[in-house]
Amino acid sequence: RRELPDGGARPNAAQFKQLVVTALRDLHGEVGAALPVDVLTYEEKTLSAILRVISSGLVKLWSALTLVGFYQNRRCAFRVLQTSPFLLALSGNSRELVL
Amino acid sequence: MVRFKNRYVLCEVVSDDPRCRQCIEDRALGLAVRDAIARVHGDYGLACCSISFTVKYLNAYTGTVLLRCRKDSYRLLCSALPFVRHLESRAQRYPCFLNTLHVGGTVRTCQKFLIQYNRTQLLRLLQNCTNEEERQCIQKSLLSCSLTEEQSQSGDEEEDDGTE
Repeated sequence: RRELPDGGARPNAAQFKQLVVTALRDLHGEVGAALPVDVLTYEEKTLSAILRVISSGLVKLWSALTLVGFYQNRRCAFRVLQTSPFLLALSGNSRELVL
Repeated sequence: MVRFKNRYVLCEVVSDDPRCRQCIEDRALGLAVRDAIARVHGDYGLACCSISFTVKYLNAYTGTVLLRCRKDSYRLLCSALPFVRHLESRAQRYPCFLNTLHVGGTVRTCQKFLIQYNRTQLLRLLQNCTNEEERQCIQKSLLSCSLTEEQSQSGDEEEDDGTE
C-alpha cells in the first residue's frame, strides 16, 4: 500500500499509473517501464493505492518510487506503508491490533 | 585475492553505408553505447555500466570494437548493444548495428578469439570472391600471414602454428 502526500493536484487512477511508470522509466529505462505493475485499488480521497508487482521487480519499483520528487511541478513523495506477498495481509496492520 | 574483475566485449560494427567506416572513432562509439544504455536501463543502468567503461580497442578498417565493463554489469551492457542504431560523428549520422562476437575476461582471450575469427573470415572471403585479382590478393595475404607465424617467435602465434 502506498500513500502519496501532495499539495493541491489530485491525480486520478490513470494518472497515478502514469506517474509510477514514468518513475520506473526514469530510473530503470525501457526495461523498467516494461515491468508489469498493476494498480489494484486507488482512492482519490486519501491518495493511497495498492500496487501489485512481480517479486523480482519489487526492488526496482520501490527504488523508483522513492526517487519521485515532483508531480506537476508540486513536491510530492511516495510513502510505502506496507508490503506483503498476500493481499489479505494488507487489510489489517497486525501491529496496531488491539486485543 | 581482491581485485576488480572486468569483462571485455568484442563487437563488430556493421553498416551499409561505406562512409561509416571512415568515421568510426572511440569517443563517438562510446557515446553511442552509453546513450543506448541510458535509454534501455535508465539512470541506474547508465551509472552501473559506466563505472569502468571504456573502448579499449578500435579497428576502423574491419570495424572491430573491444569494450570493457565491470563483471557485475556486463549483462546490462550486452542487452543494450542491439539498441545502438546510429553512429554520430562530425554532425553526420550513419545507421549501423553492432554484432557481438565474443565476451571474455581478459584482453588476451579476446585477442586469441579475434585471430581465429579473422582467419575464418579470410577463408570465407576467399570462397566468396568472384574477381580473379581479388582472389590473388586474398591468397597472398593468407600466405603472408602464415609465413610470418613461422618466422616470428612470439608466444601468441605459436599455437596457431599447430593449427596451421
